Amino acid sequence: MASLADIRKRISSVKNTQKITKAMKMVSAAKLRKAQERITNLRPYAHGLLTVIADIAATHRVDHPLLTVKPNPKNLLLVVVTSDRGLCGSFNSAVIKFAEQYIKEKKPNYDVFDIIFVGKRGADYFKNRDILGKETILNLARELTFDMCSEIAEQIKKQYATGEYDEVQIVYNEFKSAIQQDVVNESILPVDLSRSEIDAEESSFANDLIFEPGPEEMVDELLDRHFATQIFRVMSESVASEHGARMSAMENSTKNAGEMIHSMTLTYNKLRQEAITTELVEIISGAESV
Amino acid sequence: MILNVLTPTKKLVIDLEVEEVIVPAFAGELDILEGHAPLMSTLDTGIVRYREKGSSELQKIVISWGYLEVNPKAVNILSETAEDPQEIDLSRVTKAISETEKKLAEGDITIADIERYQRKLKRAQVRKEAVEGKAH
Repeated sequence: MASLADIRKRISSVKNTQKITKAMKMVSAAKLRKAQERITNLRPYAHGLLTVIADIAATHRVDHPLLTVKPNPKNLLLVVVTSDRGLCGSFNSAVIKFAEQYIKEKKPNYDVFDIIFVGKRGADYFKNRDILGKETILNLARELTFDMCSEIAEQIKKQYATGEYDEVQIVYNEFKSAIQQDVVNESILPVDLSRSEIDAEESSFANDLIFEPGPEEMVDELLDRHFATQIFRVMSESVASEHGARMSAMENSTKNAGEMIHSMTLTYNKLRQEAITTELVEIISGAESV
Repeated sequence: MILNVLTPTKKLVIDLEVEEVIVPAFAGELDILEGHAPLMSTLDTGIVRYREKGSSELQKIVISWGYLEVNPKAVNILSETAEDPQEIDLSRVTKAISETEKKLAEGDITIADIERYQRKLKRAQVRKEAVEGKAH
């Protein structure tokens, strides 16, 4: 049986933990707001870009290496997006579990199977299982910028263009809301235009549209930007999800700590009362016997 | 005519009623007025100027690479960066210009670097132009 002093000590330690989790929750909430804002600002741009590419491609029948699906892909690049830090619920484990399954299933089908890890968590997990990434990108949550993403995009695109990879897949947490994040697997190269759901007939695009420069050059440039935007979007979603997941994880632990304190205070008071009663009984029986 | 200016990080102008937009297009400056033919063009680093409906003053936005879409209803500009000249800090821009010029003057840099610095230099110069042009 724990003594009064022990329980008192435990209560104060849980209280301290609760303070920390509460503070972490606040910090995540603030960061989440920022990350969320970034996504809402990005969406019209990303959508506008994709619509235009799809429009041009549909009305002018433009072929582009980044748009053509290669038959029998043999070389695959997988990008696994996790976070650098833990304490964010199932955020990382969900992605890792998915990626592990994916690797197990798909690896035998490909000649080359390279992985880029974004975030320390994923890289460390797979390192312990002897799966090494070709590259690891860290510090995402702190210094995510569009420039950084366009550099990554540029690099991946170059490797795709030279034929080093036939397909680029990405696994990340899609941001649904502060409490819901879904693990998604998307094919980012070749660029899939079907998602934009546009057909040539309905397009608001006139066929006699003036192009400066021509449609091919235009699609070429636009695809470049689209790909960079895509990478930026994925990373932004992941960062927002991370903060969301951490916020709800910390909220839960704050709540749990509260419950723990409550039940421990009850035990503490019971014990205290018991001790007082025993003492009183002792005094009274002592007095009676005199 | 409606003007929209979007970037990956912010919406600078949304649903603004304008009379005139002047853009640094691929083939030179373009002046777009009401009723312009549908057009798509890439945009160079430069200054976008627009006149709000009922106003006689031209507002400026500094942009880097982007593209422009003119349809019967609206003018949409999507750019990688877009800034209001009022947000630009002139001392920082001047510093950036002198630094990139120095880097370019150094002999041992790769061609890719030269291109990068030249782009940076151009951006800084355009920014400077936008700020100083406003002063007089």
